[in-house]
Amino acid sequence: MVSRAAAAIRTRPRREREAEVLVWPDLVFIEFISALIFSIALMVLSAMVNAPLLNRADPDTTPNPSKAPWYFLNLQELLLHMEPAWAGVIVPTIALVLLAAIPYWDRDTQGQGVWFGTKFAGRLTVFGFTAATLITSLLIIWDGSLHVVWTENVIRGLGLNSDFTWPGGLDWFRNLRGFDTGIPWDSLGFTIGGFTMFEDWRAIPLGIPGTTTDPWLLNLNFPSFLSQQIIPVATMVGLPVLFVLFCKGLGWIHSRRDIALLIFSAFIGVYLTTTIVGTAFRGQGQDLKPPWDIVVLEE
Amino acid sequence: MANLERAPRKSFNDLIYDLIFKNYVWQSIFRTGYPNTPRNQMLAVATNVFLHLHPTRIHRTHVKITHTYCLGGLSFFMFLGLTVTGVLLMFYYVPSIERAYQDIQELEANVRFGQLLRNMHRWMAHAMIILVLLHMMRVFYTGAYKPPREFNWVVGVVLFILTLLLSFTGYLLPWDQLAFWAITVGTTMVGSAPVLGDESKFLLLGGFSVGPNALIRFYTLHVIGLPLVISIFMAVHFWRVRRDGGLARPL
Repeated sequence: MVSRAAAAIRTRPRREREAEVLVWPDLVFIEFISALIFSIALMVLSAMVNAPLLNRADPDTTPNPSKAPWYFLNLQELLLHMEPAWAGVIVPTIALVLLAAIPYWDRDTQGQGVWFGTKFAGRLTVFGFTAATLITSLLIIWDGSLHVVWTENVIRGLGLNSDFTWPGGLDWFRNLRGFDTGIPWDSLGFTIGGFTMFEDWRAIPLGIPGTTTDPWLLNLNFPSFLSQQIIPVATMVGLPVLFVLFCKGLGWIHSRRDIALLIFSAFIGVYLTTTIVGTAFRGQGQDLKPPWDIVVLEE
Repeated sequence: MANLERAPRKSFNDLIYDLIFKNYVWQSIFRTGYPNTPRNQMLAVATNVFLHLHPTRIHRTHVKITHTYCLGGLSFFMFLGLTVTGVLLMFYYVPSIERAYQDIQELEANVRFGQLLRNMHRWMAHAMIILVLLHMMRVFYTGAYKPPREFNWVVGVVLFILTLLLSFTGYLLPWDQLAFWAITVGTTMVGSAPVLGDESKFLLLGGFSVGPNALIRFYTLHVIGLPLVISIFMAVHFWRVRRDGGLARPL
């Protein structure tokens, strides 16, 4: 480990005086101008657009939809698709820890100080961002059951079947909750060697009675656990793995830096998509709606 | 050096120059002469407490706008602007549920440039979050987190979290419906943590729901607690940029 610190110092580029410029005036000038431009731009914005001020706070009148500040709406969006503990706390904590850990995992000093420093960096960035944005949008559409509405509308609209409804056999594919409510769990018990297993999937005994009062720890509601925890977590872990395998198959990945580029770009895609959907596409009851159909009711 | 700076016979311009920049008072404030020679330019940076954040010379590529887009510096500039507008806002605002909302209304209606002041503070806060995010992306895509800058990247992540917290604590202060319910939704998310969720929420709000205790807690964190913490982390961040060899550069 001696060598790491030493190597860091040794690999630092030697000073080349002729390639250097003076901070005053070259850098100070740029800083001054950029500060000036931002001051003027913000002054103009502030003169034109007023900060919002609604009615006085009233704990008895709940706006529908109620939304967190925009920079937390990605988490509020996640909240709709999984157990609140995952969405509100565990996922952001893990994301931030992984983010902070990047330089301890990707230690190669090559490729620093230039934009997109590896051979396939551009492709990985574009692919990671675009694919993650698309897949996140599709997942949100699916969990909002928009594919059900669209399919029904298209089949009715084409006159194929004027009172077509989503088939009951596909209820499990309506949305994420479909895995909970759309599958006949009660009839799925089976028998091994004379013992009937999982007669009741909604109350699988876990704890020893009397050791805990928490019903969740005593009996596991498997269908709910599947749709609210297993599937969302498997998706969040599985998709990045698939991304990496896919790009490896294409021959785009040659270093940890490449993997970091791919996953970070995908993360930015998911972050942006969930923020935009949470901000502009969630109406009353957090239903998916186009921005122009969203009104806030006070109830 | 001194001989070169002074013309043998003083012209009128030189007299004026000497009068302004070589008098006793000026030289007591700025130890160096006017920064019109390389020597004075370097001294201007090195002997100034604000400018000495910078080295006296930097590599040519680092003054290219497209290398950094000034994003880190602008984030810091937003922080400075928010401090100035924030202090001014404190003159007019009392963090009690009886007065908070009314104070904002009066600030907008009765204080000269009050609305502009509030708008500036609001939009700068949003701008700071966006700039910090973009700065993080810039650092990532230029590979500037790589050794020896690992730790400074971690400090940067902490600064990002602190920026969000600063904005979040400020969000409650106008005490309108937007503020109240946004903080209610936000703190409910905190409450859903598997371990110590309810305890953290109680600690944050000073109660079970958003009320007078939450307002004073958020206010105190917003105007003094978090600014102090973020200042310390910023000091470390900037110091480490210099210590770790300035901006990242191809090896």
